[in-house]
Amino acid sequence: MAEQRSDVQTILVIDDEPQIRRLARNAFDNGHTRVIEAATGKEGLDHAAAEQPALIILDLGLPDRDGREVCKELRAFTSVPIIVLSARHQESEKIAALDAGADDYVTKPFSTRELQARVRAQLRREFRSAPEAASRLEIGDLAVDLTARLVTKAGRHVHLTPTEWDLLRAFVTQADRTLTHRDLFVAVWGNVSGDAQQYLRVYVGQLRRKIEDDPVRPRLIKTEPGVGYRFETNP
Amino acid sequence: MSALARRVPARPLALALLALAVTTLAMLAFRARLDKAHVALIYLLIVLGGSAAGGRILGIGLGVSAFLLFNIFFLPPYNTLSLADPLDWLVLFTFLVTSVVATELLDRLRRNAALAEARTGELDRLATLGAETLNAARADQALTGIADVIRQTVGVEKCELFIWDSDQGELRRIAESPAAGDAKSTDTESTELLTYVASTRRSAIEREDGTIHVVGDSESESSPALSQSGTAFAIALAARGQTVGALRISAHAPFALAADQSRVLGALAYYAALAIYRLRLERAEETTESLRRADKLKDALLASVSHDLRTPLTTIKGIAHEISQQGQSRATVIEEEADRLSSLVDGLLAMSQLSAGVLKVEPELNTVDDLVGAALQRAETVLRDHPVETDISEGAMIAGRFDFGHTLRIVVNLLENAAKYSPARAPIAIGAERRDGEIRISVSDRGPGVPISARDRIFEPFYRAPGATPDVRGAGLGLSIARRLAEAQGGALAIHERQGGGSTFVLSLPGAEAPTA
Repeated sequence: MAEQRSDVQTILVIDDEPQIRRLARNAFDNGHTRVIEAATGKEGLDHAAAEQPALIILDLGLPDRDGREVCKELRAFTSVPIIVLSARHQESEKIAALDAGADDYVTKPFSTRELQARVRAQLRREFRSAPEAASRLEIGDLAVDLTARLVTKAGRHVHLTPTEWDLLRAFVTQADRTLTHRDLFVAVWGNVSGDAQQYLRVYVGQLRRKIEDDPVRPRLIKTEPGVGYRFETNP
Repeated sequence: MSALARRVPARPLALALLALAVTTLAMLAFRARLDKAHVALIYLLIVLGGSAAGGRILGIGLGVSAFLLFNIFFLPPYNTLSLADPLDWLVLFTFLVTSVVATELLDRLRRNAALAEARTGELDRLATLGAETLNAARADQALTGIADVIRQTVGVEKCELFIWDSDQGELRRIAESPAAGDAKSTDTESTELLTYVASTRRSAIEREDGTIHVVGDSESESSPALSQSGTAFAIALAARGQTVGALRISAHAPFALAADQSRVLGALAYYAALAIYRLRLERAEETTESLRRADKLKDALLASVSHDLRTPLTTIKGIAHEISQQGQSRATVIEEEADRLSSLVDGLLAMSQLSAGVLKVEPELNTVDDLVGAALQRAETVLRDHPVETDISEGAMIAGRFDFGHTLRIVVNLLENAAKYSPARAPIAIGAERRDGEIRISVSDRGPGVPISARDRIFEPFYRAPGATPDVRGAGLGLSIARRLAEAQGGALAIHERQGGGSTFVLSLPGAEAPTA
């Protein structure tokens, strides 16, 4: 039993809609993952503490608790990835959830494929952020060496400005996480606010032009409209 | 005689007669030693006293009596009306005239005092009424108060106030005194008369014999003709130049209005008119308020529908996915349809926010690269059958100051529109350039193009091109939303004919300088 648990990862789904839970069950109850369900925030927190899931899917529209509060409380005792589910037109809610400690979000109506991809990315990230946290990363023809401060694209050295370098480091160290604009401000400029910050999107654009094959069809740095950016390691 | 008795109070009459008799007898005892002037002065004193206590008629009566007594008893030859000395006539007539004039003067003074008192009373009542009208929590309460005051002040049995409903073009009773609470309302005939009175701003008297006397303009402050007798009076109520309603006072027995009553009625009627005016304002405000609430409700409803629709749509997509996993490739159509439904709801929501003017616009420094990239990603499904050619200058980054979310919707809508009207596999071009401090993003298709006559109409909601093939779907909101979103952030959206066939939509937005570092 204990052995089985070690290679089957548990996903906790906290959603009051039975249909969404059923969907998650069908998508993730397979040989590699199993699903436990909670219909309320309270139940979800209990399960999260008792079952120690590998990942939590949390609906922001819970009947008993504010989803963001649940997120905060989860973060008080667990660092496993949290993916929140929310409706569009609620960018501020998504940002608030990410600020409260969520790693990613999926917008309703989402496709099963989309949710599976996000869950896979989070589980992979969780696996990767083990001790020897990747100081070296290779995606396609792009290679990033954080310790050597070296970036190559198709074998050719890529020159980055200090700001672009800070951005890339933030993306790489928190790959597959949705980073809000504010997360990136803090990562690049610290907690000081300045004029440069309004140009964040321009710096991201310049970085894209250097590391993407087609900056208008980015595969690495994805835009999350109204929220921020996500660096994808498995494009 | 009875009228006279009514107008001369009994007590002063008796006292005056007694005083006259006593002084006459007393003076008779000293007649030899009395001068004519003494007699005249003493009698004058009694006349003035009587006139002061009993009024003008008593005064004049006493004057005449004293005149006779003076003549008979104190002017020789005694005990006759004839006079020995013709000069005595002068004395006598001087006495009479003095008596009458003094009486008249006294009477006038007293009447003026009474009038002043009555006016003070009126003023008090009007002031109280004014305060009540202003203080009443609601204008209809004030109206009932005014009806009460009118009934009591004018001394009639019933007072009713009517409001003019300009929408319906009819009068409705709004207050009455005494509160009847029963259904015995004004009969149709009276209502018609009131309507006539209100619409012509006149007054009317219902006479006892059933005839009606219409009195000219009620615009003139006092309506003297209201002094006629009748069983009911109808008066138009106007305030701030508008007819606001009508007033009706009635009694079982015929009555007439004295000039001062008529004047008070006029003043009270103006109060009633003001109160009705206020009531109408209050109601208008309530209507506006309820409209505002309905609007808010509509928005909340739409937001809630749009929110609640997403969960079932997610479920539908999930099930469709499961079915397609089992080898039913057509199930992907269900997924696409669910997405279409979702974007339709988004469109309706955006439209309603735009119409309500509550759409928040947050312009920030953004790049065209980012915008086009996000748009291509979001429109991925509809662009499946169309290669997209991008033409964005490779040099300096094109930056602009715009709301990313709204602009993304514009570009996605333009891409969807292009895909909708392009023949299968026809390429769609998207380009961007900076010109005159603006950024211009263009989306071009190889569709049938839009005739000049329809180039403005295509931006109207729910417009569909006349030649649109039946399989061209959509609610016809996309371009309309796109243009309004562009204008909401200080931009514009225009359509041009494309060289070689098709259309080019050009979105212009305020540009911004990008840093060079």
